[in-house]
Amino acid sequence: MTLQFEILIIAMFVSASCAVLGSFLILRTMAMMSDAISHSVLLGIVLAFFIVSSLSSPLLIVGAGLSGLLTVVLVDVVNKKKFIKKDASIGLVFPLLFSIAIIIISKYAGNVHLDIDSVLLGELAFAPFNRFVLDGTDIGPKSLYVMITLFILNSFFIAFFYKELKITTFDKSLSSTLGFRPNFLNLFLMGMVSITCVAAFDVVGSILVIAYMIIPPATAYLLTEKLSYMIVLSVVVGILSSIAGFVLANIINANIAGSISVVCGLFFLIALFLAPENGIISNFRDRVRKKWQFSESLLLVHLSNHEGQPDYDDESRIDHLNQHMLWDMRFGEKVVNLALKNGNLLVSGQNLVLTEKGREYANEIKKDTV
Amino acid sequence: MDEKYTLEITDLTVAYDNKPVLWDIDLNIPEGVLMAIVGPNGAGKTTLIKAIQGLVPTAAGRVLVSGKKYSENRGLVGYVPQRGSVDWDFPTSVVDVVKMGTYGTLGWFKRPGKKEENMALEALEKVGMLDFRDRQISKLSGGQQQRVFLARALVQNAEIYLMDEPFQGVDATTEKAIITILKDLRSQGKTLVVVHHDLQTVREYFDSVALLNVRIVASGKVENVFTTENLQATYGGRVKFLDQDLSQNAV
Repeated sequence: MTLQFEILIIAMFVSASCAVLGSFLILRTMAMMSDAISHSVLLGIVLAFFIVSSLSSPLLIVGAGLSGLLTVVLVDVVNKKKFIKKDASIGLVFPLLFSIAIIIISKYAGNVHLDIDSVLLGELAFAPFNRFVLDGTDIGPKSLYVMITLFILNSFFIAFFYKELKITTFDKSLSSTLGFRPNFLNLFLMGMVSITCVAAFDVVGSILVIAYMIIPPATAYLLTEKLSYMIVLSVVVGILSSIAGFVLANIINANIAGSISVVCGLFFLIALFLAPENGIISNFRDRVRKKWQFSESLLLVHLSNHEGQPDYDDESRIDHLNQHMLWDMRFGEKVVNLALKNGNLLVSGQNLVLTEKGREYANEIKKDTV
Repeated sequence: MDEKYTLEITDLTVAYDNKPVLWDIDLNIPEGVLMAIVGPNGAGKTTLIKAIQGLVPTAAGRVLVSGKKYSENRGLVGYVPQRGSVDWDFPTSVVDVVKMGTYGTLGWFKRPGKKEENMALEALEKVGMLDFRDRQISKLSGGQQQRVFLARALVQNAEIYLMDEPFQGVDATTEKAIITILKDLRSQGKTLVVVHHDLQTVREYFDSVALLNVRIVASGKVENVFTTENLQATYGGRVKFLDQDLSQNAV
């Protein structure tokens, strides 16, 4: 494996690990919790570092996990006060914890490799330099193994608790009456998010962790209507973003994590415009189509209301449509053309005549609206 | 007393910041009744339904379900929360939501299978929503959402149903369809406790009623309890409007 390829593979596993959890964060309207956790885990890492004085101890992950949970609990406590909303309480808690960590680092750990820039942005390019050596043989970068383990853990977590996570997310009260433990599951999920954040941010930095946790699931949410598809699709989107972002970074010779974040955002934008059901373009088309369809039905109902009446000749004249329907001539012409094309109307001299199909259509509408 | 109570609520008190929302509720609900819980806004109707199931912390009191603590008999209780309490943009289908009603009997880790699927379809047929089984839930009208919730409660196969405003924001057809199903459940011996806001229909729909305003003002058979006097005691100032109602509805 070349170094370049290793970087890409690591990024792909980070994105997949984040995406499986991110779907649930979004659906629980807790997306910003990943922001909070990915910052406040730093405090846990720093404190654990002071206990074990080593940057490679697994205790750092435990510390990070605990501080992640502490964040969740604190946010909840602050949120219980009526006048502080959830988003504000997230914003209150994590900058405090993060800043404490920063102060501790700058004051007491100046000579340790806990550099604040790399905390925020990460340096994916350096990830492969930390090798995993077994029996004197180099078997690849350490962070690759960490992320593969994490991906497996997260996937198992989601697979095992799929039904439970689904019901506690959709209907917390009902899940509680059915004997599931929504609060326990929430803490479990947040614990997994914390562990993922700490493992991932060491490699890619907290900004990309947040991007990976929120953007691919949000993209998938636009594209599918089924939870299981959403999770799988968010993994796919995350991996594709990693690949495309990696290529982009190489082309423009820029920071890899930053490039991947940008590509995540681009993919989301594309989905926002092109999504088959919820996309901006399809919504717009839908509205336009409905407008014409509605105008056509107005015309057909108008004609059918006057059919057989003495005033029909006047009411159905093409050049009088603007008076009766209050449409301008060009608009009226377009509506007439649409109805002609659909076989609902015929033109007879100066007048419009309903076809059998058009009459039925009008009657259907009248029946529905009574 | 010889009458068998399926739900016994004793001294139940719920307080937020030391302000009582429910105060010393004593309410015994006999088996096989269709009971409305009525009371003004803020009377604690929803809180009562939640407190019975331990969904809000209680300051005092106890709840017995068929003679045992709620936590031991929770399987006997089916719950229909307010329609607005969930996110209808959740990526799932109608039949999937109904299947959630079976999760309780499935317990942890076991996945719903063919049997649960069939139960869900059967319940959807009962509420007239079978044609919508694969519909994404965000594309349902309010009445359809309520029917889905009802179907989900049906597959719970409970003995006691606690329903929070099942008629809220539904059209007349759906309201009739729902009440037919509720009466059908009662005839199977189920007990139904329904939070209700429309005083006009209490006599027509229900056989029992509990009048609630933080405390229980009165409870029992509609013909004994649903009186002008009790309603005045429950609703306080708004008696004029009630007098009119009652004279129209007088038996």
